[in-house]
Amino acid sequence: MAVINYEPLDSSTDVTTTVTLLYEAIPLTGTIVSGTYSDENIKNFTHGMFQAVYDYPYLSSSANHIFDLAVGYSSNSTVSGSTSVTQESKKINMYNEFAQVLLGYTGSNNTVREFEKDLNLDNTGSIRNAFFVNFSRLITKDQIKKGSFSMTIGTGSWADPFRDAAGNAGVETLTDASASATGGTNNTIGGDYGLLYTTGSTVRGVVFYQAGIAILSTSSWDGVADFNSSSSPVYSYNTAQSLASASISGSCDALRHRIQNISFNNTTEINSTIYFCRVPHNKYNYSANPTYVSSSEIRVKSIASDTPISYITTIGLYSPNNELMAIAKLSEPLRKDPSNEITLRVRLDY
Amino acid sequence: MAFLDNSGDIILDAVLTEEGRKAMADGTFRISKFGLGDDEIDYSLYNKNHASGSAYADLDILQTPVFEAFTQTNAGINYGLLSLTNVAILYLPVLKVNEKTTVSNTVKKPVSPSSGLFYLADTSTDTTTNLLASTALVSSDKFLTSDSSTGPAVLLESGLDTTNVAGDAANKSTYLVANNLVDSTFYVYYDNRFITSVLGPAPGATFDNTSLGTSGTPSLSYTLTNAPPVTTDLQLSNYSSARVSAGADGVVKNSSYSTTDTNVSAIAGPRASFTLLNFVVKPNLDTEYTRYGSVSQDVFGDSVLYSYIDTTIYVQGTKTGIQAQIPLRIIKYISG
Repeated sequence: MAVINYEPLDSSTDVTTTVTLLYEAIPLTGTIVSGTYSDENIKNFTHGMFQAVYDYPYLSSSANHIFDLAVGYSSNSTVSGSTSVTQESKKINMYNEFAQVLLGYTGSNNTVREFEKDLNLDNTGSIRNAFFVNFSRLITKDQIKKGSFSMTIGTGSWADPFRDAAGNAGVETLTDASASATGGTNNTIGGDYGLLYTTGSTVRGVVFYQAGIAILSTSSWDGVADFNSSSSPVYSYNTAQSLASASISGSCDALRHRIQNISFNNTTEINSTIYFCRVPHNKYNYSANPTYVSSSEIRVKSIASDTPISYITTIGLYSPNNELMAIAKLSEPLRKDPSNEITLRVRLDY
Repeated sequence: MAFLDNSGDIILDAVLTEEGRKAMADGTFRISKFGLGDDEIDYSLYNKNHASGSAYADLDILQTPVFEAFTQTNAGINYGLLSLTNVAILYLPVLKVNEKTTVSNTVKKPVSPSSGLFYLADTSTDTTTNLLASTALVSSDKFLTSDSSTGPAVLLESGLDTTNVAGDAANKSTYLVANNLVDSTFYVYYDNRFITSVLGPAPGATFDNTSLGTSGTPSLSYTLTNAPPVTTDLQLSNYSSARVSAGADGVVKNSSYSTTDTNVSAIAGPRASFTLLNFVVKPNLDTEYTRYGSVSQDVFGDSVLYSYIDTTIYVQGTKTGIQAQIPLRIIKYISG
């Protein structure tokens, strides 16, 4: 039924807006990426241009898409034009697609910019051979929080990816430690990006925060002879050979094989409108609730001079046409009588 | 729909309603006012005589768990809080259907086959003829006839239904008029799948027990006219609303009357206003009888078959918010 008594909201004094950033920690363990589900959570496509990774076998309705993997190289790469290449045009296309969307074009000929290991975009320190880790919006939400990204990768052989040749721990943890909300990033047409450093402060890649894309240089595995290996058919490739001769999905498999851990905080931007519902002392002290009276006599009174009392449980927000636009509930009844004034702060998030 | 956690600070749980989302989608979302409700509260739990003292009178009420907010608009505020400025009001009016046999040209619920329903005949002559049979509803004051402007109609009265305050003119003025508790119009909510419009009293309708001499004999005079539809917060799917006018209820208590006021009025104390209702049944309801009602039923046990739909009419005072529900059976003769 219609509410009979409304209280106007003054848009200048009773309504305000706020923006809140909400962060969630996203940990991705390597066993999900490679191992736990025997690759039933890895989806390869007939076009072969990228590989999708799910958190559960992807044929299940419970599976969530977590990221895509792809490899590519610039047409200026030393890999480009090498002999016995596989999917070369697709690999160059993948590189160019990421580069043109995230960095754009440069020069009078509008050539696609290349990714660089610095924040200057000055055509030095180019990353021409790259792995692309393209996180789903489901987990990055509005953006990756700057300074929170961490990725641990194995730098060992195919057979023992997390140990080096001497049997010691062979991992690198790449972080965007120098990036923060106030600096340490560069802004491009694809959004802000920061650099991914090893603990020894060597740059191994970049991470685009709003796009949710990490781009890894292949330099982490420069000394690895069998980055990508197989017993059937028999082959053993270093990274350059893998980029040239293996399929995109084969190189992606080799990278997945070496992901030990990924973690970051995602960011959700919540825009809120806050309505200050001010309940004056002399209003809303009676109720139309049928239980409010017994034989027409108000139950909370014994004599007429007793204080009228009501108990608020619900706040309805209405349009000028009396349509109920939003509803808010108090967690417990709130006593209202003529001796008190109440301001109820109702927040609607968008 | 769970309860809200009430173990800590008071929190607010807010959601957009279906109507709000729709307004968001079409770009008309705007909030300009608020209203307050207390639907979960059972005020009979207020214990004025609590053994531990008056501070404990509302202990049970304050412990009432509150549901989470949910998005259907009809689950919003059904009974709003009222902004009456006089803090010294002890009595609030109620709205009741008058089925007193002393008042003619009004509809009463039949005792059988079901005592809980008002009947509304569709416009066919066959339906009316068969309902008047001795094996059916017998008399014309046991059912409404669709679109009949002369009655009989459902008579509703508002006022203070208490024997503590005599229903005389002085008390009406003191307890009702002075406190602005007299409704001059009522909202009527009806299911627009079955009913096309509402008939309410035309200007000049009267109801009293004073105009026919000094015996207290009731006098009800009216014609019905189409009530204008209104746009208000319907909150019920498929329901439309109309605003019907109300007249001043002229039934008063006078100890010299041979017919007492409570034999005339459904209200025991001072009366505020009255209104009358009839309805226009939507033509060609055969599909609706099948989908929402019952078809070819022997309702009265006389081998005559009817189709019917049961629905509910909601009536609400536009000033006081007092409400009444009228259970209604729309009935149509089929055969037999």
